[in-house]
Amino acid sequence: MSRSLRQFLKTPAGRFLARYAVILAVAFAFIALKPVNDHVVNPYTTFVAHEGALALRLLGEEATVNNRILSSRRFAVAIYNGCNGLEAILIFACGILAFPAPWRSKFLGLALGFLGIQLFNVVRIVALYYTGVFKPAWFSTAHVLVWQSLVILFAVSMWILWVQRYATQKSQ
Amino acid sequence: MPRKKASNRRAFWRRLRWSVPTALLLWLIFRGPYNTFLAFSAEKLCRLFENPPATRVVVEEDKAVIGREDMRTGSGWLGYSLTQIHFNFIPTLALILALPGWRRGEGWQKLVWAITVLAASHVLALVFHVQFFFATSLGPWSYATYSDTARNVLGFLQYFFDIPLTFTLPLLLWVGLYWEEVLDLVGFSGAVEPNTQGSAP
Repeated sequence: MSRSLRQFLKTPAGRFLARYAVILAVAFAFIALKPVNDHVVNPYTTFVAHEGALALRLLGEEATVNNRILSSRRFAVAIYNGCNGLEAILIFACGILAFPAPWRSKFLGLALGFLGIQLFNVVRIVALYYTGVFKPAWFSTAHVLVWQSLVILFAVSMWILWVQRYATQKSQ
Repeated sequence: MPRKKASNRRAFWRRLRWSVPTALLLWLIFRGPYNTFLAFSAEKLCRLFENPPATRVVVEEDKAVIGREDMRTGSGWLGYSLTQIHFNFIPTLALILALPGWRRGEGWQKLVWAITVLAASHVLALVFHVQFFFATSLGPWSYATYSDTARNVLGFLQYFFDIPLTFTLPLLLWVGLYWEEVLDLVGFSGAVEPNTQGSAP
């Protein structure tokens, strides 16, 4: 390890980055375990599908959920790992856990961030559903390109807002 | 100083509004040649470890079509979306371009580093997709050629490059390469200690 890297790791920024990378690696490895996937991730993904169906029913659609497939007579979307918002939640939550801030701020950030990302993900599912209904040819681009990019940017933006609002507020 | 930070923050949110479409436009312009580069590099990298070399990775529209030359024509070929591999170029570039002062000092050099790391991760992601496909989807040939351990390792690497790395690289590269500017933005520079009262180490 070069001296500059060692020096960097001694700085607050270096410690944050190192902690962030370690917590993130552990979190992603954890959700990749089969028992966790079967008993936590899959039920959570089904829950996300139910949230999407509820939102669509509020908008007048006859949406139902079968396992992790959200469908109506007009269109159907399958929600898999990678589409359930869990990655965005991990990016955000690990950023909070790695940042040196009071635990109260961290818990508040985790709770608000979880709700915010859930809400954003429901908007994404509803938008993708209607993209599939009205412009099916655009579905793939909207799904892979637009919304995945927006999910990452949303999680990073939430983290920045949390740091600015709750983690460093008193120090200024 | 606090006024400068507040103006930095406002500038960041303002710049993010145009940096996202700019990044998207650049991605659209370079997508075609980049797809060709990805397919070419992944094929060469796979062939380095084969004797005789047989991996084929060709670009068809937005897909990498993966197969082997030493199999019958009707054998399995996989079409995999290349956008799924390299869409993270957009949030990474958008975050960098939105950062006030990103061009200061070695800013451009850092941008080249970010693109290089992303490109390397994209090539490796495609390589592991190819290898995972060979190890699991070509019937008896897969079972004769790859061990269970190899299948598990390749499955893990495919997952790692497909989801965790793809989703987290934008933030890691942004904070890692432009940490002074990012920490300045969030109010966590060397001169300003964060609010750590009551925090765990």
